[in-house]
Amino acid sequence: MTHPVSSGRVLWQRQATMLARQEIGRSLFSRRSLAVYALAAMPIGLALLRALFLPESQRLHTGHTTTELAQIFHFFFLRFVVFFSTAVLFVKLYRGEILERSLHYHLLAPVRREVLTVGKYLGGLISSVLMLGVTLIATTILFYLPHGAGGFAHLGSGAGLREVFAYLAITALACAAYGGLFLLAGLFFKNPMVPAVVFLGWEVATPFLPGFLKMLSVVHYLGSLEPVPISQGPFALMAQPVPGWLAVLALLLIAAGLIVLAAWKARRLEITYATE
Amino acid sequence: MSDRTISVRNVSKFYGEVLGVNRVSVEIEPGLTGLVGPNGSGKSTLMHLLCGLLRPTRGEISVLGVGPDEPERLFRLVGYCTQYDSFPNGATGTGFLSHTLALHGYDRAAADRRAQEILERVGLTGAARRRIAGYSKGMRQRIKLAQAICHDPRVLVLDEPLNGLDPMGRAEIIDLFKELARDDRHVIVSSHILHEVDLISDGVVMIHGGSVVAEGAIRDVRGEITTQPLQVLVRCDLPQAIAARAFELEHVVEARIVEDGAGLLLRTTDAGSFFPALTKIILATGAEVETMTPADENVHAVYDYLIGDTGGAT
Repeated sequence: MTHPVSSGRVLWQRQATMLARQEIGRSLFSRRSLAVYALAAMPIGLALLRALFLPESQRLHTGHTTTELAQIFHFFFLRFVVFFSTAVLFVKLYRGEILERSLHYHLLAPVRREVLTVGKYLGGLISSVLMLGVTLIATTILFYLPHGAGGFAHLGSGAGLREVFAYLAITALACAAYGGLFLLAGLFFKNPMVPAVVFLGWEVATPFLPGFLKMLSVVHYLGSLEPVPISQGPFALMAQPVPGWLAVLALLLIAAGLIVLAAWKARRLEITYATE
Repeated sequence: MSDRTISVRNVSKFYGEVLGVNRVSVEIEPGLTGLVGPNGSGKSTLMHLLCGLLRPTRGEISVLGVGPDEPERLFRLVGYCTQYDSFPNGATGTGFLSHTLALHGYDRAAADRRAQEILERVGLTGAARRRIAGYSKGMRQRIKLAQAICHDPRVLVLDEPLNGLDPMGRAEIIDLFKELARDDRHVIVSSHILHEVDLISDGVVMIHGGSVVAEGAIRDVRGEITTQPLQVLVRCDLPQAIAARAFELEHVVEARIVEDGAGLLLRTTDAGSFFPALTKIILATGAEVETMTPADENVHAVYDYLIGDTGGAT
């Protein structure tokens, strides 16, 4: 029997697409996504409560809302919701299948481990951007909802749209960088939540770190891209932002480097479920 | 390395300080090969090493000229039915196979078509659209087998593939193995059920304590065990007469009439001298011989001689 198969790059693309599609299905519609939906519901719930109970005096102008949204985005959405959502989604790409004892089926297919890693990563990335992007848009709309027509006019204006797109882009970059990190953690650690919490500590401590150590922090670059400056209080001097292009480049390089490391680890992966 | 043989050269695998297999060297030719050994002897480790699910601590492996660290080439040639009784969550029989085939490069329509063919071949057509989680043990065994053979591999590695199958199922699947072993294919089967290995295997690899203790055709392996007398079963009408004369031969250490009285079992330490002498005895007694067969040229006996009861095999 001859194989009705293509080979080389065309086959890799087809395999990566299939694997990504499978991961998207698992991420969006399986039990593993419940935690992510719960996390995603938090900023929406917060925005809804704010919309219901915002004092009349603050409903007239959108300026205060823009600042509050920036703070919520920086301190809560990015550092908590995005961080833990990507942790849940990306750690399970490999670890989930190891615990389910079904990873060997992928390792017994004619798929390069690098292609397997990239396919899984893309599936996680698309899922997380979809889930968190929708969350971000819903949160933003709910934030401006109490301002009525004025709020929607702001969102539809050039400045408002720029803000929304900037937040979406930052979210996507955060998913890319944190995703790479948690994909790698899922390959190296039996309980990747421990390194996740350690890294969260590192991210929180970023403002106190000397300049060269800040370069190893994802949130340092993400913060540099935020469209609305937020008050950093006494740490303002320590949190010197980097130019936007450099932040984007750094985040993409971090993601790429982590994926390369994950693919390297995946190539050496052995199936020993009994010890997991 | 040859592109016709499976070659394992001086391969060792340690899990930390625990030995998996130790300095294993075997050459496996096309045909049906039984991999035999007690629990924990290293059979599954060896199979995992062949298929790249484990990496050897040292040594070299080549499957038809391809190394286990080249999955893209290797799994065009190899299908592996593991012992793991687990499947992706929510997968149906058809979905599971179609996904596997799509990873092999089949387009959707071709994958679905091929999946149906294979499901029919393993007797799962009726359960194709059901979730695997609801399958019986025997059905799960069949779907694993389907996953291993769906891309028509030249090498099939099957770890305890008959587990959980009823007698009818076993017979069907054994026929399938025999069919697959034709056309110059390699079919490597591990099993605890020695008489089944005996029925289906052209050759055996016996493994114990992580080391290969024997490999080759059963007869050849038996022939090399010189410490155990050869057993020959003679079905004839005058067993007592033959037994009386056979006892006079120096190299015959036992002559026992079988339970039904229609034959005798002889044990000899010198097979070369035994058969000419036995022929003379038969002619002298005028006995009518129905059959004369070696009684211990089988996996069970060889296993017993080499590994013994301590092996724990059933």
